[in-house]
Amino acid sequence: MAGLMSCLPLADGSMNLKKYFVRALHRLQKGPGYTYKELLVWYCDNTNTHGPKRIIKEGPKKKLIWFFLTLLFASLVFWQWGILINTYLSYNVTSSLSIGFKTMKFPAVTVCNANPFKYSEVKHLLRELDRLIEAALERILQPAPGNSSENTSPPLDLGLWHQIPLVLIDEHDKDNPVILDIFESNQTALGNQTAGGNQTAAGNQTAAGNQTAAGNQTAGDNQTAAGNQTAAGNQTAGGNQTAAGNQTAAGNQTAAPPAPANATSEEKKYKLAVKLCSHQGSNNCTYRNFTSAAQAVTEWYILQSTSILSKVPLHERIRMGYQAEDMILACLYGAEPCNYKNFTQIYHPDHGNCYIFNWGMDEEALNSSNPGAEFGLKLILDISQQDYIPYLSSAAGARLMLHQQKSFPFLKDQGIYAMAGTETSIGVLVDELERMGYPYSDCTMNGSDVPVKNLYSQYNTSYSIQACLRSCFQNHMIEICGCGHYMFPLPEGVNYCNNEDNPGWAYCYSSLRSSIRHRQICIDSCKETCNDTQYKMTISMADWPSEASEDWIFHILSYERDMSTNVTLDRNGIIKLNIYFQEYNYRTISESAATTIVWLLSSLGGQFGFWMGGSVLCLIEFGEIIIDSLWITVINVISWCKGLKQKRVQARYPDAPPTVSELVEAHTNLGFQHEDTGALPGDEALPPEPGTPPPNYDSLRVQPLDVLGPDSDAETE
Amino acid sequence: MAPPGPEGGRAAAGAVAPGKKITARIKRTLPVKGPQAPTLSELMRWYCLNTNTHGCRRIVVSRGRLRRFLWILLTLSAVGLILWQCAELLLNYYSASVSVTVQFQKLPFPAVTICNINPYKYSSMKDYLSELDKETKKALETFYGFSEGKSKVRRSVDEWNSTGSDFFKQIPLLKFEDFSKTATDLRSGQKRKIEGSVFHKDSSIVNSGDSNDIIGFQLCDANNSSECALYTFSSGVNAIQEWYKLHYMNIMAQIPLETKEKLSYSADDLLLTCFFDGLSCDKRHFTRFHHPLHGNCYTFNSGENGTILSTSTGGSEYGLQVVLYIDEADYNPFLVTSTGAKIIVHDQNEYPFIEDIGTEIETAAATSIGMHFTRSRKLSKPYSDCTETGADIPVENLYNKSYSLQICLHSCFQKAMVDSCGCAQYAQPLPAGAEYCNYKKNPNWMYCYYRLHEKFVKEQLGCQQICKDACSFKEWALTTSIAQWPSAVSEDWMLRVLSWDKGQKINKKLNKTDLANLMVFYKDLNERFISENPANTLVILLSNFGGQLGLWMSCSVVCVIEIVEVFFIDSLSIVMRCQWQKAKKWWNDRKRDRLGKPPQAGDLERQGHDNPVCIDEDLPTFNTALRLPLPQDSPLPRTPPPNYSTLRLETAFTEQLPDTLEVGQH
Repeated sequence: MAGLMSCLPLADGSMNLKKYFVRALHRLQKGPGYTYKELLVWYCDNTNTHGPKRIIKEGPKKKLIWFFLTLLFASLVFWQWGILINTYLSYNVTSSLSIGFKTMKFPAVTVCNANPFKYSEVKHLLRELDRLIEAALERILQPAPGNSSENTSPPLDLGLWHQIPLVLIDEHDKDNPVILDIFESNQTALGNQTAGGNQTAAGNQTAAGNQTAAGNQTAGDNQTAAGNQTAAGNQTAGGNQTAAGNQTAAGNQTAAPPAPANATSEEKKYKLAVKLCSHQGSNNCTYRNFTSAAQAVTEWYILQSTSILSKVPLHERIRMGYQAEDMILACLYGAEPCNYKNFTQIYHPDHGNCYIFNWGMDEEALNSSNPGAEFGLKLILDISQQDYIPYLSSAAGARLMLHQQKSFPFLKDQGIYAMAGTETSIGVLVDELERMGYPYSDCTMNGSDVPVKNLYSQYNTSYSIQACLRSCFQNHMIEICGCGHYMFPLPEGVNYCNNEDNPGWAYCYSSLRSSIRHRQICIDSCKETCNDTQYKMTISMADWPSEASEDWIFHILSYERDMSTNVTLDRNGIIKLNIYFQEYNYRTISESAATTIVWLLSSLGGQFGFWMGGSVLCLIEFGEIIIDSLWITVINVISWCKGLKQKRVQARYPDAPPTVSELVEAHTNLGFQHEDTGALPGDEALPPEPGTPPPNYDSLRVQPLDVLGPDSDAETE
Repeated sequence: MAPPGPEGGRAAAGAVAPGKKITARIKRTLPVKGPQAPTLSELMRWYCLNTNTHGCRRIVVSRGRLRRFLWILLTLSAVGLILWQCAELLLNYYSASVSVTVQFQKLPFPAVTICNINPYKYSSMKDYLSELDKETKKALETFYGFSEGKSKVRRSVDEWNSTGSDFFKQIPLLKFEDFSKTATDLRSGQKRKIEGSVFHKDSSIVNSGDSNDIIGFQLCDANNSSECALYTFSSGVNAIQEWYKLHYMNIMAQIPLETKEKLSYSADDLLLTCFFDGLSCDKRHFTRFHHPLHGNCYTFNSGENGTILSTSTGGSEYGLQVVLYIDEADYNPFLVTSTGAKIIVHDQNEYPFIEDIGTEIETAAATSIGMHFTRSRKLSKPYSDCTETGADIPVENLYNKSYSLQICLHSCFQKAMVDSCGCAQYAQPLPAGAEYCNYKKNPNWMYCYYRLHEKFVKEQLGCQQICKDACSFKEWALTTSIAQWPSAVSEDWMLRVLSWDKGQKINKKLNKTDLANLMVFYKDLNERFISENPANTLVILLSNFGGQLGLWMSCSVVCVIEIVEVFFIDSLSIVMRCQWQKAKKWWNDRKRDRLGKPPQAGDLERQGHDNPVCIDEDLPTFNTALRLPLPQDSPLPRTPPPNYSTLRLETAFTEQLPDTLEVGQH
């Protein structure tokens, strides 16, 4: 190489840069100075991976073995690397569990009365409704038709009734049940049956959904017949449908499972159903029937009262509910006394006024650093059971729930009951699950990436899956029915549903509620939170107050609340609650990534090292070799092209004498062919230079030895 | 590096055989020969210099004894560390890591089995139980002076002292004074001596010296009356109940199943209302299931018709709401002493062990049960000792439900019972070909049963060892709370309407203590799935190996192959060769001795060239090592093996050494 350098026409010393570039160019043209074989041999001898060295150093048989072994190991390495990278990209997690006691935030405690409003306060609103249901029950329970003239002094407001009527289904005749409107004096009169034909239409439409309403299992021809029939015929058609409605979830066409109904003669003869129409007097009606009258009545009452109460403004509703000072009689947190003022009031549509202890909205959450009932929260509540709305809630007690600070209490889901006249002790264990977000698991940190508008954010509460599901439902309700449901918060500019403004809301709501498709949409669009906290409760109960202590306890509590010496409380209204941490108060399952980039690298390195003893540097070596061989290829191709051209030129002048340089090149290595012939002529006399191989390469030192072997063999032959 | 071809190859090629030409060619190109190194130490040296592992080279290259020793030590300790760590890795290969995933989704609703605590209607059981009840009442009167007050007349007590009491003949109730081992027989009033072992049922809790009149009963082996076991109880309540139960099971075992099903509650009797997922449901959603001790139970969502209901909304409104009719007046006074219902939440494939893990619910109350669903999955063999399907457990599954530990234990006990007592216990299903015990056929069974049960509890039957837990299980964590129901103000209309619901059949007003309201719902639709995963895979194990090998010695599988090659194959063949040569030498010597020829001097010399003994240190030449005949005309008979790179390096090193020394001197 040095010789070549000297051949270059050197410019002045000031032209250093140019010289440098020229040198670089020449190097590039010259290539690495190897043939493929040299390159390979050199690589094998000098690489740090363990296999290749063996290939060239062993005898011919072992050479073969080592060649295949090296190939095998290399492919093993790549295969296992594939597996490792795959494992890494699957983003697995490992979980670790820790249990123990530590100072923790005491959970927020929400207490509510199972009954939303004081009956004495809402009586004027519900009076009509109550009279209706009483009269209806009167008729239902004594089904002696005709003379049941109760002579209710003021006439009943049947307008309210007709918005969502209850109907009685007479199933004496299995095949032709008769629908009886309770307030129609003449049950068999066909006045009601003008709707009979309409019901068939309803039957066709409402078969979607799981509604056990007028889904008809009797074949379609029956209906079409009914459609054509006269008023008298209609009745039986309607009857058919209700029979069908009995069979839950019977689709239009599918034959319902054979009803065992006709097996015994002691079947119930009457059933109650709620008739829901898309709007009053419309054709589009369904019968929502119930196996039990009690359920039908409750369901009906809830629908009606919801409609009435939704018109009442919020502050009025809050006033009608239970006030904190009436409900929370005593409070003790650890050793510190507390009172109703420590509770935050929140209006909950199911349960009226609810009171939250330690919500952490305004002040810091309280910590609890001791286990045991002595250090927990002790409450005495009065639920005044006498003031319950009779038809609205049949279970009596306090509803309470433990939840995280700044989260909305969803009492219907997570709430528990506490029974009146008992002391309920609740030992708490905080069960936390801390998960890693995307891409490890599909959860959301704060709900910002969930495509559902969170309506509960107006309470300043954090995101939760329940909030998301309810918001999702409410959004659907507004979209489809045009008004919001009373149980969920409202977005801007939408009103709650009521019978006057949205006569068909109950129909719309009940079809929406039972629509599996809408639920699935909500489930799919909502994500759970990454940090999931559950409060595991150990609930135990005892009678309270004891018979011996009853007198003085009632006396004191009555005195404190009402400033009267008379006992104003009784066993049916009073509840004692103890909420405290158990000895082990936390159990945390936290996730960590099972495969990190460090893990990946060390595993890759381990694999490479295990099979071939290689490292990253070996990869770079290999890359170098590839570049070199490409280089050689390029140079070879160029020289080949040149040779082709020259041949053509030679063909034109066949007797042109070859230059000396050409002759020299002809028996030196090919790599030099492209060398500028113009540079050489001056130095053509230079001795053996072009023929000498690059001296400093190890490979070349080895090479002659290698070649020697077979040569000597050949000689001996 | 191809070594020079051996002479043998050439010889073979010289022989002209056209067919063998190819084999000769192969032989020539791939000559068979032993290791190149003539001696073990040479081999080791060669290995150390040429190996890819890092320690060995240092040993050879290092100068100075201390240094060499240190390097030997370090290399050996590195090898030791590698072995230790790899062993550790291997031992920990079968470890599992736990992962917890939470998924929010539509959840399958579990099966809910509901039973009345009282198994059979007392009024309809009268025919079967009147005798037994009479006896019980008599016992109560004799021991405790209890007689039914007029206020609490359940049914007329007729001909009180008419005999025919088999019960007391079979298993008499005894009252006996402590320490004295004498007992008063209830019926005859006689005192009798007690023999046999005494089992205090409650003895672990109650100090038996406290009361002096203890009630118990004696069970004797019918074949061998001297073998008796005496069961005593600290309280008469337990004694009477236990005793009653024994007889009751006897009687029930003789009644065929169809009759029993009729005697128990029908779905219409038990279920007043039903509401699921916001929709009304009725008895068609329930499957009857006859439990031997609890009579007819009803399973909601049993999946019998192939469909399993699921919930897509959590919360109490969307779960199962049932009002149960518990006819308290029709309870058996001796068999059950509490009122209410028992429920159990289980998977559709699981057998409901209602007597073991049922939850009791109260009357006149609304019990709300919030569920939280957890699914767990363990890894089976070799990670842990659990069974996937139970097929590998040598106990026949008598229940036709999927395997669980409970099922296995019960089946195992039943099998043991059939084997040793000849009949099956009433509370568990029948194995093929067996029948339930009753003392007409098996007068001995009670004694046998008690003995066996004792053994079972003390884990002497081996059931606990045979049965393994199942690998995957579903668990519904229940949060139970109770509210008063119906509330004081709604009681009136509620009872009226419920009576109307029911009352089309029964013309009486319901009492609220006859009713129980039950709500079972998902608290949330989060499914928590706890699963074990293998912590290691083969890939990870190998890469850990590689990491260890690389860290300590920069070794790889290639090194391992080298080691095997050098230390086992090559060294062995060298040793073999040595032995062979020794033997040959010895043979030659002997032959020479026998021939009596004094060895010629030149001969000896030549032998020294041809057959160098391995111990020879200074003659490691290649051709001599291979015992090649010296080429006569070869001018260089002792050329060193040319192709050893070791030698090349060695020489380079020795050449270099004086250089460096020189440099040092200057």
